[in-house]
Amino acid sequence: MKKIAYIIVIAVALTSCTDFLDLQPKAILSEAQVAGADNADKFVIAAYASLGNDHYNIPFSLWPYGNVRSGDAYKGGRDEADIQAFYFMETFKNMRTDFGEVDGIWYNIYVGISRANAALRNINTLTEAEYPNMKVRQAEMRFLRGHWYFMLKEMFKYIPYIDETVAVTDYEKISNRALTNDQLWDKIADDFEFAAKYLPAVQPEIGRASRYAAQAYLAKTRLYQAYEQDEQNNVININKDKLNQVVTLCDSVMSSTARLETDFGYNFMPGAYENGNESLFAVQYSHDDGTSKGRLNFGDILATPQGLGCCDFHKPSQNLANAYKTGANGLPMFDTFNDTDLDLTVNTVDPRLNHTIAIPGHPWKYDPTLLYDKSWNRTPDVYGVYASLKENVSPKCDCFIHLDPFFGNTKNRIIIRYADVILFKAEALIELGREYEALSLINQIRTRARRSTGLLKMSNGNYESNFNVSNYIPGTNCVWTQDYARQALRWERRLEFAMEGNRFFDLVRWGIADSYMNAYFTKEKTKRTYLKDGLFTKNRDEYLPIPFNQINFSKGTYKQNYGY
Amino acid sequence: MLQMFISILVISINIKSNKIMKIKSKLKSKNFRKLSLLVFYCTMSAVIMAQTKTVSGVVTSSEDGEKLIGVSILEKGTSTGTVTDVDGKYTLTNKSDISTLIFSMVGMKTKQVAVGNKTVINVIMEPDSKLLDQIVVTGYSKQKKADLTGAVTVVDVDQLKKITSNNPIQALQGRAPGVNITTDGSPSGSGTTVRIRGIGSINSNIDPLYVIDGVATQGGMHEMNPNDIESIQVLKDASAASIYGSKAANGVIIITTKKAKEGQLQVNFGARASASWYDSKIPMLATQEYGQAMWQAKINSGDKNPDGSGYGYNFITGYNTDGTPKLLQVIDPTAVYLDNDPTKSYYHTMKISNTDWFNQITQKALSQSYDLSVLRGTDKGNTMFSMNYTNNDGIIKTTNFERFSARINSDTKLINGKLIIGENLSLNKTGEIQDPGVMDLTFQTLPIIPVHTVDGIGWGGPVAGMNDRQNPVRLLEDNKQNKYDYMRLFGNVFAELELIKNLHLKSSFGIDYSDYFKRSMQLAYSSGYLNNNQNGVNNNQGHSIKWTWSNTLNYQKTIGKNAVDILLGTEMYKQHDESFWAQRLGTGSYVSEDPNYMYLDAGTGTMSLGGGAAENTLLSYFGKANYVYDQKYLASVTVRRDGSSRFGKNNQFGTFPAFSLGWRINQENFMKDLSAISDFKLRVGWGQTGNQEISNVGTRSIYVTDYAGNNPTWDPSTSTAYDITGSTTGSLPSGYRITQRGNDNLKWETSTQTNIGLDFGFFNQKLYGSIDYFIKDTKDCLINPPYLAAIGEGGNHWVNGASIQNKGFEVLVGYRSKIGSDFNYDITGNAGSYINVVTSLPAEVVNNYGGNGTTDNILGHSLGTFYGYVADGLFKTQDEVNNSAEQNGKALGRIRYRDINGDGVINDKDRTWIGNPNPDFTYGLNINMEYKGFNLTLFFQGVGRVDLNDYAVKSFTDFWSVRETGSNKGIRLLNAWTPTNSSSTIPALTSTDSNNESRFSTYYIENGSYCKLKNVELGYNVPQKALKVIHLSRVHLYVSGQNIFTVKSKSFTGIDPERPDFAYPLPITFTSGINVTF
Repeated sequence: MKKIAYIIVIAVALTSCTDFLDLQPKAILSEAQVAGADNADKFVIAAYASLGNDHYNIPFSLWPYGNVRSGDAYKGGRDEADIQAFYFMETFKNMRTDFGEVDGIWYNIYVGISRANAALRNINTLTEAEYPNMKVRQAEMRFLRGHWYFMLKEMFKYIPYIDETVAVTDYEKISNRALTNDQLWDKIADDFEFAAKYLPAVQPEIGRASRYAAQAYLAKTRLYQAYEQDEQNNVININKDKLNQVVTLCDSVMSSTARLETDFGYNFMPGAYENGNESLFAVQYSHDDGTSKGRLNFGDILATPQGLGCCDFHKPSQNLANAYKTGANGLPMFDTFNDTDLDLTVNTVDPRLNHTIAIPGHPWKYDPTLLYDKSWNRTPDVYGVYASLKENVSPKCDCFIHLDPFFGNTKNRIIIRYADVILFKAEALIELGREYEALSLINQIRTRARRSTGLLKMSNGNYESNFNVSNYIPGTNCVWTQDYARQALRWERRLEFAMEGNRFFDLVRWGIADSYMNAYFTKEKTKRTYLKDGLFTKNRDEYLPIPFNQINFSKGTYKQNYGY
Repeated sequence: MLQMFISILVISINIKSNKIMKIKSKLKSKNFRKLSLLVFYCTMSAVIMAQTKTVSGVVTSSEDGEKLIGVSILEKGTSTGTVTDVDGKYTLTNKSDISTLIFSMVGMKTKQVAVGNKTVINVIMEPDSKLLDQIVVTGYSKQKKADLTGAVTVVDVDQLKKITSNNPIQALQGRAPGVNITTDGSPSGSGTTVRIRGIGSINSNIDPLYVIDGVATQGGMHEMNPNDIESIQVLKDASAASIYGSKAANGVIIITTKKAKEGQLQVNFGARASASWYDSKIPMLATQEYGQAMWQAKINSGDKNPDGSGYGYNFITGYNTDGTPKLLQVIDPTAVYLDNDPTKSYYHTMKISNTDWFNQITQKALSQSYDLSVLRGTDKGNTMFSMNYTNNDGIIKTTNFERFSARINSDTKLINGKLIIGENLSLNKTGEIQDPGVMDLTFQTLPIIPVHTVDGIGWGGPVAGMNDRQNPVRLLEDNKQNKYDYMRLFGNVFAELELIKNLHLKSSFGIDYSDYFKRSMQLAYSSGYLNNNQNGVNNNQGHSIKWTWSNTLNYQKTIGKNAVDILLGTEMYKQHDESFWAQRLGTGSYVSEDPNYMYLDAGTGTMSLGGGAAENTLLSYFGKANYVYDQKYLASVTVRRDGSSRFGKNNQFGTFPAFSLGWRINQENFMKDLSAISDFKLRVGWGQTGNQEISNVGTRSIYVTDYAGNNPTWDPSTSTAYDITGSTTGSLPSGYRITQRGNDNLKWETSTQTNIGLDFGFFNQKLYGSIDYFIKDTKDCLINPPYLAAIGEGGNHWVNGASIQNKGFEVLVGYRSKIGSDFNYDITGNAGSYINVVTSLPAEVVNNYGGNGTTDNILGHSLGTFYGYVADGLFKTQDEVNNSAEQNGKALGRIRYRDINGDGVINDKDRTWIGNPNPDFTYGLNINMEYKGFNLTLFFQGVGRVDLNDYAVKSFTDFWSVRETGSNKGIRLLNAWTPTNSSSTIPALTSTDSNNESRFSTYYIENGSYCKLKNVELGYNVPQKALKVIHLSRVHLYVSGQNIFTVKSKSFTGIDPERPDFAYPLPITFTSGINVTF
């Protein structure tokens, strides 16, 4: 009997544990646990966090895409084979559809979009009573989504547009050609319009998007949209309506408290200078914040010169340095700037040169006791001796963080600044035939540049270079025609925003990328032999190829860009 | 009581018979017989009692008439007995009323002889058909091998143990047909993978299940003391394995550890020492040669007068009379230092060198192992206790593995033997200093860099212009104290009760508890331009507890010619893991880098920490029935039903049935007369097994708070934290991100396998073997496929995806015989082959395993088949360049790719299926010879044609710019194509890979077939006469060598086709050892 009892005990023990298989998962949350108004702000934060989740080979600063491809910067690094895909992009040779870097930035931007969409999906289930910030937060998320799609759009032209209403299972049905070029711009503009409508003029937390940031970005979107392109990427028309919208939007931003920094350099300095008057929207970085390495500017980490850290990428080109030369009249040397290379013992220059480009013998980041040296360069025989200053900091800054083997920093990256708004407006006015109204805007930028010399001194108190910058004064030092104004505007944008990730997209917008780049190669390859294969293929190289993997994953729903 | 004693004795001998097979060949050696005598003499003498009547005689073998030594003779119904001496003689003084003597000996059929009035009883004993009577553990029960109907390979453990390896599974390589084992040379042997009958699944875990004394586990075999192993069986087909249901889809390896036998008192001691060294070094460029290659690459790329790179190399280019450039100087002969930049802290500390980095990181490694076991059996129970200490240095400097293990296996008989309680428990403490991944770095580090600075203390490292690879010697040196410690308690306690006659209830509680701890010190360093003044400590620990409670009811009954064996059981399994890590890191965080100082408390840097947990359960019900009719017809049915916590309510349970049939044709009357045929059995089996190897939370939608993100050094951060207030430091607000989308309908992956096998034996099992053919269909493979990037986060999604099929055959043949009276030999060979085919793919993943994205995909090809371009040699004339298809970057000396689709343009449409990573076949051959006290064993192992993807190495040995130009290269590229070396098949060197030769092509596919002399061992048993003097029963001395030589394909350009990549290299090893039995 005892034995039978034993069997029964076991049998009962086993059958009674029907909940034995019901386990609670560890350290994760279910969809239900993250729903509701209490969690809405958290999804919003996670969406912002994506702004800082880039990487040196998929940089959201777009340095390879916007600068290296524009002739403003060399790829840098050890040699051509160091991140070889960027070298191929630099010369437009051997462009392939399967570069991992291109697939990577595509994916990581969509991660940003998916976070914004996730936040919107959460918020959309709420009411304003439950979640008083509802409209503002929706607007912030749409601002971020607009920002991400804008980046994709300027790089890839045709992209699958997915908002928060699309079910995940339907994603692969959405082609990158579901919308036309113009409709895609409109979608991006819709988000910024919504954002501009509901965002407050000033946010209590500095990292959040404000109304003026949205208006500025909307102006930028409409400006790009105004230059209408055909399938082959030729600019076929400039849309006046869109330009007028740009002017209106810029005027609105200019009515805000945003202003140019008194010194150009303040935009690129850490600490108290961050989130200044000119910064309309910036990525906020942090250190000693409880994360393992800090929330650093990972995208620009390779730009640290070898003499300070690693790995000496993103090097200003000789052509760019030469562009800062000024003539005796204080204006750019539009036609002759590149005849001889910059020589500071001879040339006068725009002060923005010394804010933008580190030149051997000059202070590194405004520190006269720390001179940038030729030896800081990794392979000067390949990439010359300049280094990029804007994204870098002084090694003495507590924001300079060792991330072995790299060195990063936590200086904010400005995504859109007030100077941009001024020049958007100037550009629109010029294309509208109102170039005289643009004159004062461009001169406003130049005036600030002229006054931005306070930081540029050697230890003996002398200025680093002989500075000579004048405003455009029609009849005195120039004849202010539309063509001249256009040239001045384009030059001004280059000097002002060099190395900030925009230049190539400017060239494509203006429809001059092919002629500009091929002219650049002709001259520059005599100085940098590695550029000898450089050749821009018109009607193809204006945009990156849709990543091969993505065409595969979409099972052919996505179509490749023209020319690839 | 006496009867029971005898029956237990017999049973214990039967159980032991499995062991007998493996040493059977030794049995024929006289020395072994003497040994056996001693062993048995010792064990039996304890039970000899004073008697009144004397019987004596001689015992001989029926096979050859030789005298048998060590035969045990027992009076039936008593515990009295004796053993035969060296002349086969025995004398037994027994009670007058004893009527029967039982003669038994390992390897021989037990014989009973009635005494009657006889005083002399000479006995002729017949050899056992050991292979057939061998007892095989088949899952919760045991069976005679003759009655098996599934595909089961019994591994010859004695041969296996001749391989000097920590990891018994590593030694299994080449021993069992259909079992593919890949391994590396790490001192722990932990880098070993086992694939039974091909690749059983697409994405989830495809390791087999190990069942050690009835307790299932999926790894950590290097933690086990190989000397504890009594037997290993591999259950390959579903009809054999399905009793293990959900965990058996990739096959089951059953390991039984040693137990003492009743009456046994034995002490064994063994010691061995090995020396290993690295002999698969890839020839690399020396300092001068590297410069030559760099110069050539620049010249080829159109540079007329290349300069050096700014660090030591200083080219002077001259011209031949035909105008072609030639290199007059590589390094400035007056240059001394690598670092000539006075602004650097390391100015003039590094001399231009010619370092052979592989020599610098490798060493001749010594290993040692000691084991002791004590076996003691009485009629009340048995105890086996063993200890082992192993210390292996690796052939990569500072790597080391250390193991201390102890085991106790005991059982106690209660209630007249009706209740047996016992345990099999092992406690292992292992520690390892692992390779921090230096093979790849060693390959890449430039020879011009010195190991140390001129003071002999500081580290050499790169200067400007070089790659940013770390000095591998430094990495090893700084890692030398970063050892992990791992404590594991593994085993079970059990009770077995005979409820009524033939009905046994068994309850077993298995436990697998492990505790991992590692303290890693990160030291500040300066090594060329690479430096880090931060130091810190990272503590990492994990605890895992797994328990299995199984209860079985077993009934066995023989009625006439019918034999039935029924098993019913239930099992519960639970695993719970916890992990925790903490770190302190900062500039000057630790004032001293002494290991005695560097603890978390002692530092000042930033602290961070993390931790997590995981849990899963399984609940199973199973039953099995075996039926044998007249020893001819065999049938077996199994059903197992498993529930898993990993699946949602919709599909929590899976049911896995199996059946098998056997027909022992040689038992039929028409064959019985053919005395040459000792075994001829046809087996047919069908069954299903399951696979649930997904994440514990694989069915759920998962949101996480990812404050820290992953390590952002090499991959993008995934953090959800953001400094929204712009405060730059301090705690950040953080949100959620989705990491996986749920799937409530996810269900078990199921394998259905059909097996047809034939076992045969001729001439009383002199020649024996088996042939098996199988078809294994796996459907609903659990996969987490790559996804459309537009999904962003949350694209991870487990689905039941593809189906794959493996079919193949396995052959095992053995032959043993003797020449003259003293020379015995035994040859065993096996081979296995399979073909793997993807038979269906869901639409969502159809392009994920190769193919062109539209019309061509993996369907119908083997899983893992390489997809790429066909390299059609090099362009050798300008005509060839001009007349070939349009190919970006084509030029003289460049690879020509084949225009597969014939459209005149080389692009991604020209890719095709270019190689199969599944070998055509694998095989092993073991030859064992014995002559008097000597034995010699040769073991060969190999694989037939297999396509290796050698990209990792060949992209460095054959190209300048396909991978890092700043890294050192293999010496092969010195023979690259030039106009004057136009017969070369190695592409011309270039500064940039403009022809995109990094594209995956047949250039990187190599024939990886090989045959290795894996092991050779020469052993010697010291003669008994000598041993008697020193009171030992057995002394065995041996020397052995492993990986002695390799035969490989002529076309293979690497060194070791078994391990062509940057994994821990396989060494050559020589070992000597001694085993002593008291």
